[in-house]
Amino acid sequence: MAGFKGPEVQEEVPCNLIPMIDIMFLLLLFFMLGADMAQRDLEDVVLPQASEVKEDENVRGDEGTTTINVHHSFPACPVHGRTDAAGKDMVCREMDHWRVAIRSKDFTQDTMRQQLQIEADGELEDQVDPLAGKRLSKRRAMVRADRLAPFGLVQRIIETCGSVGLYKVEVGAAQPPKP
Amino acid sequence: MAGGGGEQGENPVAINVVPMVDVIFCLCVFFMCSFKFKQLEGKFDSWLPKGKGTGGPSDSMIIEEIRVALYWDPSTQRTIRKMRHNTIIDDNQLESLITEAYADFKRMSKPDTPVIVDAEAAVPWDEVVKILNISKRQQITKFEFALGAAPGAQIPAVRPKPDEPK
Repeated sequence: MAGFKGPEVQEEVPCNLIPMIDIMFLLLLFFMLGADMAQRDLEDVVLPQASEVKEDENVRGDEGTTTINVHHSFPACPVHGRTDAAGKDMVCREMDHWRVAIRSKDFTQDTMRQQLQIEADGELEDQVDPLAGKRLSKRRAMVRADRLAPFGLVQRIIETCGSVGLYKVEVGAAQPPKP
Repeated sequence: MAGGGGEQGENPVAINVVPMVDVIFCLCVFFMCSFKFKQLEGKFDSWLPKGKGTGGPSDSMIIEEIRVALYWDPSTQRTIRKMRHNTIIDDNQLESLITEAYADFKRMSKPDTPVIVDAEAAVPWDEVVKILNISKRQQITKFEFALGAAPGAQIPAVRPKPDEPK
């Protein structure tokens, strides 16, 4: 069999990277557009579910809305995020563990009033309201409270909103998952 | 032109796409990790009255309201709900009581009767929203939150004496 030569083996097979680049570009675009950078307004809270809630067309908060978040911020809390023997969520009532935040910044009651006053005064209605006897704010206040947050905190926020002239108060809730 | 007709051999400098692929891959991983499916959110409008303060009702006012009281029991970690002297067991009972009460007021031509949520400060917000939701389902448009002393409020150190004019 001397002189027989088999088929030539191609040593270097070029890898075509173009389709891969195309797909990666598409993926990149999808994730870039899907990443909502305006989410910094919204703290990570578990909202209460409500079937009758109307859809919020202003979630991004770009139409004169101040979003006030009430969230639990104490990772070492032995209660929050746990369930009891019956499978029910345990409720943390340490008031120090609950925070009120506007644009990811925590506020105390006094500083919250100052901040809300600034926001309310920034967008006043054109005319004096005959009932209130002053120019109220046309800005909206959206209260996004965690479902286990103490009602007292939300109550205090609503009261503060009223006292600084923010009367367009909305409370956030999540739509239950569709079956 | 001499030498200008070649196609493959025209551009002797090959573009190395490997660093670009690396960078895009890194970006892809970054955005994938930070990607979060957004929960569908909604809102309840609860605009505050313009001309009213936080004072209580006047003495001459006839009570026309649907009041739901919520108490927090820290020992059992449960919310106790009461309405019209009934301790409410479940959401269905609460809904039927609110429906019944609202139907009574509608019969009396008072469809603007509000639902008043009178809750203790420690009650979870979830329970309050549940009442708002049930009321909305019954087409009730007016809600009020009863205000008590602010949580942790200090009792004034100096009080007027009983014989002093207020």
